[in-house]
Amino acid sequence: MSREKDAANYAIVFFAVLSVLILLFPASKMAHTARVAVSYSFYPSMHYGAKYGHFVRNVPSNFIGILKTDQENRALKEKLRNLEVNLQNASALTAENDRLTRELKLSRSMPWSGSWARVVGKTPSDWYGSFYIDKGSDDGIAVNDTVLGMQDDRAGLAGRVFEVYPRFSKVLLLTNAAASAVCSIAPSGMEALVEGKGTWLLKVNYVPEESSLAAGAELTTAAGGLLFPSGVPVGKVTKVYPRESFMNFVTADVAPAVNVNTLKEVFVIRRGLQPEPAAAAVMAEKK
Amino acid sequence: MSLILEIILYIATGVFYWWWTQNLAFFGLAPDLIFSAALAVAILAGPVRAITWGFALGLYADMLGANMFGGYALTYSLMAYGVYVMKHHFDMDSPFSQVVAALALSWVCMLFYQGLSLVFSRINPLGLKIFLAGPFLNAIAVPVIFQVFYGLKRRTGIL
Repeated sequence: MSREKDAANYAIVFFAVLSVLILLFPASKMAHTARVAVSYSFYPSMHYGAKYGHFVRNVPSNFIGILKTDQENRALKEKLRNLEVNLQNASALTAENDRLTRELKLSRSMPWSGSWARVVGKTPSDWYGSFYIDKGSDDGIAVNDTVLGMQDDRAGLAGRVFEVYPRFSKVLLLTNAAASAVCSIAPSGMEALVEGKGTWLLKVNYVPEESSLAAGAELTTAAGGLLFPSGVPVGKVTKVYPRESFMNFVTADVAPAVNVNTLKEVFVIRRGLQPEPAAAAVMAEKK
Repeated sequence: MSLILEIILYIATGVFYWWWTQNLAFFGLAPDLIFSAALAVAILAGPVRAITWGFALGLYADMLGANMFGGYALTYSLMAYGVYVMKHHFDMDSPFSQVVAALALSWVCMLFYQGLSLVFSRINPLGLKIFLAGPFLNAIAVPVIFQVFYGLKRRTGIL
């Protein structure tokens, strides 16, 4: 009995110290090794489960899905024909735009390129914090790539890639309390910081009190924030809070442009940004 | 052989939890099967094995979130030790005591994790919905998982 108690005491001390070390040094080699080791236990669910799960799941609804897909296919063919016409118009406009850009010597923003990924893992304990997608470094996904969601045929900022494994990646949602983005508020173009709250809403901070921020104002990512490409819709102001007596700026609630609860697929923009520790190392070297 | 079976059980627990959250989550709510498995193992197994399982399942739960790596590992390790101490004073084999333990320990673990999160990350990860409803879902899940693990223990000798 005493030996068992001793063993229990040694075990709890060992694992508690290990946990605290991982907590204190999240970017250390030990924490990284633990992450990689545990990531192997994710493969059956995140990769193979997401890949083959649909074969055995929801067979009746899949049958109905085939019928619906047929109808949708017909509608999409119609839409495609219309888009072909629009594309021809657009190519003429693009050529004109190129010509004017050259003439006005304006620099064009980089076009977005990336790939679609499916949301394959979401945990209730971190519902508004993060989720997993089924694309990883094998598909060219890198840390800090921008993740867009689609809502009502419109793209909106969902978050950024936070951790990358060979066949899946973790996305840090903008609604996570640790996430933020520099945004531009329409129509004035004033820049402000949008932060996650850990709920379905975002908050916008550090807006000067003299600004005419009002409910309904649209927010897009600003060129000043280097993490995200500029011009991506972030959300809409829903409520502006009155200025506190001890502060010289106002805050507001923002409804995200995409509802993270309904996201099934996301578009990952490949930006090739450096991950934070590496970026920090580069900065340190420069100093 | 026993170790291989335990690794398979660990992965199967994770896969089952993933499947449940992907297909059966209701209003963003699902029983925390990782917590339930950690508690069931803590009741069934010896202290060293229970703490090791708590740590491993905690790391799995940490991987699922993006806030703090190591928080759940510490929480579930300490929970396993706490259950080992409690087992000397209470009968943890009956479903009723498991329900009570699941309810109480769910809240204790949530508050402990919340405290860790505020200290290490300065963020508030605990949603009100999960805080109010999660423990009751866990209380339903723990006796079921306990029976499954108990059956596996009897048949294969693991845990």
